[in-house]
Amino acid sequence: MVSFLSKASSLLLRSCQNPKPNRNIRRLLSILSSPTPSSSVASSHARRWIPRQGAAFREISRWREFCSREFCSSAAEESQAKNLDGMTVDDIVAKEWTVLEEDASDWKSHAAAIALSIQLVKKRMQWKKMLIRLDQLSMAVSKSDIWDDPVYAGRICREHGLLMGKMKEVNGFEQELLDHIDMLKLAREENDSDIELDCISSLIQIRRKLKEKELEALLSGNNDSYSCYIEVQAGAGGTESMDWASMIMNMYKSWGERRGYIVTVVDEMPGEIAGIKRATIKVDGKYAFGYAKAEIGVHRLVRISPFDSAKRRHTSFSAVAVIPILGDLSSRYKINDSDLRIERFRSGGAGGQHANTTDSAVRIVHIPTGITATCQNERSQHQNKASAMSVLQCRLDQLEMARQAQMNSEHTRSLTDISWGNQIRSYVLHPYQMVKDMRTNFEVSDPYSVLEGDIDCFILNFLSTSLEKDED
Amino acid sequence: MGFLGEKDMFCCLPICSFRFTCSRSRGQIRFCSSSRPLSITTTSAPLFLRPLSHNTTSSHLQTFHAWAKSLAFSSNHPDPPHLIRELTWLLQDATSDPHTSFLQLGTTHPIWRVPLRVELKELYVLWKARVEERRPLQYIVGCEHWRDLILVVRDGVLIPRPETEMMVDFVKEIDGSESGLWADLGTGSGAIAVAIGKMLGEDGKVFAVDLSQTAVEVAEINVERYGLKDKVEVRHGSWFEPLEDVVGKLTGVVSNPPYIPSKHIPGLQVEVGKHEPQLALDGGEDGLHHLLHLCEGCLSVLKSGGFFGFETNGDEHSELIAGLMKTRWSGQFRDVKVIADFAGIKRFVTGFKM
Repeated sequence: MVSFLSKASSLLLRSCQNPKPNRNIRRLLSILSSPTPSSSVASSHARRWIPRQGAAFREISRWREFCSREFCSSAAEESQAKNLDGMTVDDIVAKEWTVLEEDASDWKSHAAAIALSIQLVKKRMQWKKMLIRLDQLSMAVSKSDIWDDPVYAGRICREHGLLMGKMKEVNGFEQELLDHIDMLKLAREENDSDIELDCISSLIQIRRKLKEKELEALLSGNNDSYSCYIEVQAGAGGTESMDWASMIMNMYKSWGERRGYIVTVVDEMPGEIAGIKRATIKVDGKYAFGYAKAEIGVHRLVRISPFDSAKRRHTSFSAVAVIPILGDLSSRYKINDSDLRIERFRSGGAGGQHANTTDSAVRIVHIPTGITATCQNERSQHQNKASAMSVLQCRLDQLEMARQAQMNSEHTRSLTDISWGNQIRSYVLHPYQMVKDMRTNFEVSDPYSVLEGDIDCFILNFLSTSLEKDED
Repeated sequence: MGFLGEKDMFCCLPICSFRFTCSRSRGQIRFCSSSRPLSITTTSAPLFLRPLSHNTTSSHLQTFHAWAKSLAFSSNHPDPPHLIRELTWLLQDATSDPHTSFLQLGTTHPIWRVPLRVELKELYVLWKARVEERRPLQYIVGCEHWRDLILVVRDGVLIPRPETEMMVDFVKEIDGSESGLWADLGTGSGAIAVAIGKMLGEDGKVFAVDLSQTAVEVAEINVERYGLKDKVEVRHGSWFEPLEDVVGKLTGVVSNPPYIPSKHIPGLQVEVGKHEPQLALDGGEDGLHHLLHLCEGCLSVLKSGGFFGFETNGDEHSELIAGLMKTRWSGQFRDVKVIADFAGIKRFVTGFKM
C-alpha cells in the first residue's frame, strides 16, 4: 500500500505541476479516498509527497479512517473490493488472461496469476464458512453479558481477532491488486514508463507472496499449528500385519525427521515375532498436526509376505490416528487427581528389591471415561508417568473437542473410532508397484520411497482437494 | 549445559581412586565380615559421561543392532522386547544421539560417521554380558534413571528401584518438608537423599548414611553432580550411629533397608541375586531385622511430630510393622499409614512420632 501511494503521489505531483488542468487528479484523489484498512499510514506518506495538496489529503485521510472503521466493523458482510472501473478480482479471473512465467513483462499475466491465487487461497481458507463463523463470533462478542464467563469470552475474542486478521490480509491483497491495475492504466495514459515498470515489479512481488499464502492456507485449521501424537494399530492378520504397522510407523518417523520435527516414541507394544501391535509417537514441531491429520484412516498393504513360507500374497491393514497437543491451556480438559488410577503396566512378581528391571511402564486410567494411556519408553517410572499423563490429557482433550463438535469431526477421531472399512491409502508391492490414495486418486509408482517417509505429496494433495471440495 | 559440562564436573571427582570392596552397604557391622572382593572391577566413568573419543559408521552400528537383537530373542530372558528397549538405551548412552537415528541411516547412508563413547567391539562385550551373564543394564551403562535424576551406579551399590520413587512424593506432601533436618538411612547411590535435597529450601539438610564405603563414594558423586554439597551430607556408618549429634532434632527419617528374608535370597532373579550386593538385600531370617531396628531407633532421633517413611517387603511386612506401632510402641506414633505401590503391593509404612 505504501509503495502504491508513493507512486500515486509522484504521479499526482507531476500532474499538479502541469499548468493544464488534468482530469487524472480527480481520478487519483478518488483512488486515494477509496476505503482501505491501511489508510492512516498511506495518507501520511502521501502528505509528505505532495505538500501542496496537504489540506486536501488531511480531509481524505480523516474520511478514509472513518471508512476503514466502518469497514472493519462490518467485515462480516462481504464487501467486494472493486477498482475505479468497478472491476473485482472475480472479474479478472473471468477474463481468462493467459498466465505466463514470472519473468514475463505482461502485467495482465501477473494480474491473472494473482487473482487466481487469491481465489485459491479463499477457497482453501473456506471463505464462505469463515464469513458465517465471523458473523456468529461478532454476534457473540457484541453481547453485553459475554464477560460473565471470562474463559469463554477470552476464547471467543481470540478466535474473532484471529479470523478478522486472516480475512483482512486477503482483503488487503485484493485491494492492492486492483489499485495497481488502476495505477497502471493511469501511468499508461500519462506515458509514465517508470511508474509502469514499478507497478509491474510490485505485482510480481504480490504474486510471489501469494504463492506462499496458498501453501499456508492449507494449514489454517484451528489446531493445525500444534504438535501431535501419531498412533498406529495393527489390523487382524498376525505377524504380517504387525510388520506392516511397524513399516507405517517407520514411515512417519522418517517423514517427521525429514521435516525437521522431533520424533519420540512414547509407547510401543512389540509383536511376538516381528513388528508392533500398536505404538504411539510424539511429533514435535510447528504444523505437525496440520500435516499429519491427512494420514488418519486405514492403510492397506498388498505384498508377498516374508513371513509366509508358501510365498503367498497377503493383504494387511493398519489404522492411524492423530491427536493434536493443544497449546491453549484454557481450552484443555480439567483432570481431577481423584479420577485417576495409576498402575504398573506389567505388575506381577514381588517387586521392590526382589526385581531388577529397567521396565517401569505405567498405565493411567481415567475412571469416569475409561480412557487409558500407557508409557513404557522412558527410563524412569516418574517420567513414564509424566509422559503417559500428557498422552491421557491429549486423549481427553480430543474427546472434549469431539463432544463440542466445533471442529471437523474428520480430524478428531481416535483409534477406536476408525472403522476398518475406512481405507484411505493402498500400498501395493506385488504384483505391480504402486501407492494410491483412495480419497484423491493421487498415485505414486515407487512405494519404497513413500515408505521411507516421502509422503508430503500425498498430504498436500489431500489437504488441497479436501479443502477445495468442502468450499464447493 | 551439555554433556561436556557434566563430564567436566565429573572429572573433578576422585572416581578412579577407590578400592573395590563388597562390604555391602547398609546393615550392621556383622555383615562386613562376610565381604569378599568383587571379580569384576571397573574404574571407568559411566558410559554417558565419557568423551566421544571413538567412532564408527552407521552400517556398523546397524550390524551391531541386528546382532544384539537376535541375541536377545534367542536368549532365555523372560522379556526380550524389553531387552530391545534396553538396547536402545545402551546406544543412546554410547552415542550422542538420543533418537538413535543412525539406525535408519544404516541403509541410506551406510558410511555416515557416528561418534562413540566406547569402541564398537566393547559394545559387543557389554551386550553379551547383559544377555548372557544377565548383568543389569544399569551396571553396564553405569547409571540409573530415577525420577527426573540420572544417578551414577556401579557394582557394590544397590540399583534404586522404581517403587522407591514414591518415597520422595510422601516427603513432598508434608507441610514444611522443605526445611529442617532429614536422614536417608542406607542411602546406597544416594537416590532418595539427592531427590529430597533438590526440594529443600535454604535451611534444610539431608544426612545420607551408609555403612558401605562404595555406597558412600557413589552417593558423594551423585550429590556433587547435582550441586547439592551444602544440602546433602554423606556420612559413613551403620544406621543411627553417625547421627549422634542430631539426636531428637530430625524432621524426618526415610529408609529403604534390606528387607528380603534370607531364605529367598538364593531364588532371586539372576540380575539381582548374581550381580547386586546381597548385603543390601538380606533382611535377616524374617526380613524384618533392620526394619525393626529402624522403628525403634527413629523414636530417639526424630523430634516430636517428626515423619518416618520405610519401604518394606510388601503386604504382610507393612501390616505387621503398622500393627506393632499400635501395640509394642503404642502411644509413640500417630497417623500410621500403609501405602501401596503402583503394582498394588502394600509397600510403604509412613507416620509421625507423637
